[in-house]
Amino acid sequence: MKLTIERGLLLKVLTHIQSVVERRNTIPILSNVKFDAPDGNLSLNATDMDLDIVETVPADVAAQGSTTAPAHTLFDIVRKLPDGAQVELDCTGGDNSLVLSAGRSRFTLTCLPTEDFPVLSGGDLPHKFSLSAGGLRNLIDRTRFAISTEETRYYLNGIYLHEADNEGTTVLRTVATDGHRLASIEVPLPEGAAGMPGVIVPRKTVTELRKLIDETVDDVLVAMSDTKIRFSFDGAVLTSKLIDGTFPDYDRVIPAGNDKVLEVNTNSFSDAVDRVSAISTEKSRAIKLVLSSGNLTLSANSAENDSAVEELPVDYTSEEMEIGFNSRYLLDIAQQIDGDTAKFTLADSASPTLVQDSSDRSALYVLMPMRV
Amino acid sequence: MTIRLLPTTTVNRIAAGEVVERPASAIKELVENSIDAHARRVDIVLRDGGRSFLSVADDGIGITREELPLSMERHATSKLLNDNLETIATFGFRGEALPSIASVSRLTITSRQKQAADAWTLRVEGGTKFETKPAAHVTGTTVEVRDLFYATPARLKFLKTARTELNHVLDTVRRLAMAHPEIAFSLRDGERQVLKLSHAQGDMIDARLDRLDAIMGNDFAANAIPIEADRDGLFLSGFAGLPTLNRGSPTHQYLFVNGRPVRDKLLYGAVRGAYRDFLAHDRHPLIALFLDVPPEAVDINVHPAKTEVRFRDAGLVRGLIVSALKHALAAAGHRASTTVADAALGAFRPEIGGVPVSVHRATPISRNVSGPALSFQAPVAQTADLSRLDTAPTARFEPELVTARDDPAESFPLGVARAQVHETYIVAQTEDGIVIVDQHAAHERLVYEEMKAAMEQDGIKRQGLLIPEVVELEEVAANRISGRATELSELGLMVEAFGPGAIVVRETPALLGEVDIQGLIKDLADDLAEYDEALDLKSRLAEVASTMACHGSVRAGRRLNGKEMNALLRQMEVTPHAGQCNHGRPTYVALKLVDIEKLFGRR
Repeated sequence: MKLTIERGLLLKVLTHIQSVVERRNTIPILSNVKFDAPDGNLSLNATDMDLDIVETVPADVAAQGSTTAPAHTLFDIVRKLPDGAQVELDCTGGDNSLVLSAGRSRFTLTCLPTEDFPVLSGGDLPHKFSLSAGGLRNLIDRTRFAISTEETRYYLNGIYLHEADNEGTTVLRTVATDGHRLASIEVPLPEGAAGMPGVIVPRKTVTELRKLIDETVDDVLVAMSDTKIRFSFDGAVLTSKLIDGTFPDYDRVIPAGNDKVLEVNTNSFSDAVDRVSAISTEKSRAIKLVLSSGNLTLSANSAENDSAVEELPVDYTSEEMEIGFNSRYLLDIAQQIDGDTAKFTLADSASPTLVQDSSDRSALYVLMPMRV
Repeated sequence: MTIRLLPTTTVNRIAAGEVVERPASAIKELVENSIDAHARRVDIVLRDGGRSFLSVADDGIGITREELPLSMERHATSKLLNDNLETIATFGFRGEALPSIASVSRLTITSRQKQAADAWTLRVEGGTKFETKPAAHVTGTTVEVRDLFYATPARLKFLKTARTELNHVLDTVRRLAMAHPEIAFSLRDGERQVLKLSHAQGDMIDARLDRLDAIMGNDFAANAIPIEADRDGLFLSGFAGLPTLNRGSPTHQYLFVNGRPVRDKLLYGAVRGAYRDFLAHDRHPLIALFLDVPPEAVDINVHPAKTEVRFRDAGLVRGLIVSALKHALAAAGHRASTTVADAALGAFRPEIGGVPVSVHRATPISRNVSGPALSFQAPVAQTADLSRLDTAPTARFEPELVTARDDPAESFPLGVARAQVHETYIVAQTEDGIVIVDQHAAHERLVYEEMKAAMEQDGIKRQGLLIPEVVELEEVAANRISGRATELSELGLMVEAFGPGAIVVRETPALLGEVDIQGLIKDLADDLAEYDEALDLKSRLAEVASTMACHGSVRAGRRLNGKEMNALLRQMEVTPHAGQCNHGRPTYVALKLVDIEKLFGRR
């Protein structure tokens, strides 16, 4: 294999690829990126055995072929090359090494045989549909903060992507929860998605996918089976295994009977929470909300008996009540609300509270109170 | 096959299987008989670790000629007055020990009562009694056992080497001796004197400490806090080691109930609970506790060997032990273990013949080596660890402190700060010596104690679970957990029973963040079964608190000025448990002027 490629183009692809590659591996080949150069194109492939990414870019191919080389080292080299440099990759020397030259620099990297590179077989992916990149970004952003990090409940370590029914219309919905809070957002069901299985997409896949589609404008093609999911866009293909587990029946925890409605200005609310919580040095960062007619009082106490109080004019007409929350959870949710007004629907100090954007009903958040 | 009654010898051998397991258990039975007979001295002789010969001689009340044959009958005893098993005040009561031992060995018992003119002896072989014969003997009883287990070859094969058996005997005798300082014990194996303990003098406390000193080593006696507590008729006394004196296994924890050495999980759990704040979980303190309870409050008749007991109210006993230990530890919060200071002094000792003196093996100078001897040993030019001190450029001088020679602060227990060395240790001068404080360890403890107090005052905040977690357990374990629901909710964990064999968790301590609930509950169930206390939850909370304490405290390497150092010292004086860090290491070492003078051969 021998080819020339522009430094910027190679760097962009390697940036994507190398973040899939784990820093430390017990299987040496997993540290490597696989190069494949058929005519006029260079495709790079990296995997951690659960997640596999292939990205193809145009290149000036002088001799076809393939090889594998250490991903992080390559990334580091290309990153440090001067802007606009032409990079030549050559492994025709036959001594099992890849020679990278650019300008006056020359690097020789040891290769591992291409045949050893694991192939994450896609298998049959019967369900196919396309989603706008913006829509997919939204589906991820609004939920991923609530993904659980607790490894023993592995089935919560991802976002649940599934077909759901919302008052008669079928929608595509993502849900994530860590047992303390839950986030859910939906988009109209895209064509071809009907009958798709409900799948749990692992956190690492979600993170990588979100990075890759940050600037994508075109639609993202989604294909899936019970065990695998594949996203294709911009010349990149991301294939991932799914979490083999049953997502809990989350419908039951979304409160339906909450009758006290509180509407606040999103920004002033989250600023106030942020300010008041500065006083609580504790790890749990508890904050107390006292609701009375037209007024919300936020307060916090520290172990050293310091305290903070802030009042906020709000839209609230029900009877007075008190409720405690983890302030970090409140801030996380407030951050997700783009609209001016956030709507809280509450029942009592021990029951889950529902939070929504007043102007956008597609997303909802459920938060369990803290006993303070 | 027809059903028939077993012959008496067989019955005795079966009983012997339960009671007499090895020479050590025979010794235990015989020595207990001696103690019950009000002996003042007990002499034990072994050969081959007791495999071929063992004898126990005492100066107790003795046995009459008429009683001798009867003593070899099963269920014959002089001890169980009123035939009431509820109130057992003696060691023995089953009347099984002697006939059991006699049924598996060649036994000779010789005895003379105080008033009696003659001594009599009786020989029994494999359960067959011979005639009583007159003999020569002082007041008291001697039991000689030859060829133990010759009649039960199977048991004989299971005996270990003479050395192992001797160790078991030694352990048994030590335990009995600890509980009875008023009795002199001696143990000989062949020609070797293994143990010799004289009558301990003084009142009960002094006598006990004397005896413990002889058995557990003088480290223990020097670092022990006396314990005394009573509650509802239970009386607890004894000694607890300072946390800075710790071991890798709990083998040095002794519990005596009414003078009877017992091995009880209850003790280990209570000790773990009381020392939780001071020791890493794999370190164990040294402890000897003596519990006196009314005979009716404890059931000794659990196992023939009587090493297990059952308390009528185990919770009360546990509570008594934990609170007594905690109380004593709080009171001793400022007594850094003398081993630490000794080790420090040992490290300061000049090298002898070029071989560095290991810190851990260093003998306490103050006790064993006289001043002139030490100076005589010291080669002139070698200064070992001291050399590090004079090359330390970071030692700072605090002029404004040194001028204050008549500073009233010097009368404080931790003295007045004179300098900070290596930005890590504070050197303070007290009235009669110096104190070296590890600033990070000390401040960490202060912050931790503060946090603990805050936690107790405000309660532990609970985060509700959106999806209550159901944990499947064995039915017993589930009941155990749901039975303690109120106590657990105070620790921030809300649980409810969820049908048989399952519990549902609704709220968890907010401090723990996202927690592995299944694992937590299962560990808790084990803790409750084992120690009857929610240790795991408490230790997890403490762990979070101590991590935060560690982050929130002054690090090693931070420069402190004189005021800051003194403030730290004053705070340490008023904070409980400031003498140890969270892991059982000392936060400061106090060196007496006398010891320093000895280092320089001035005394």
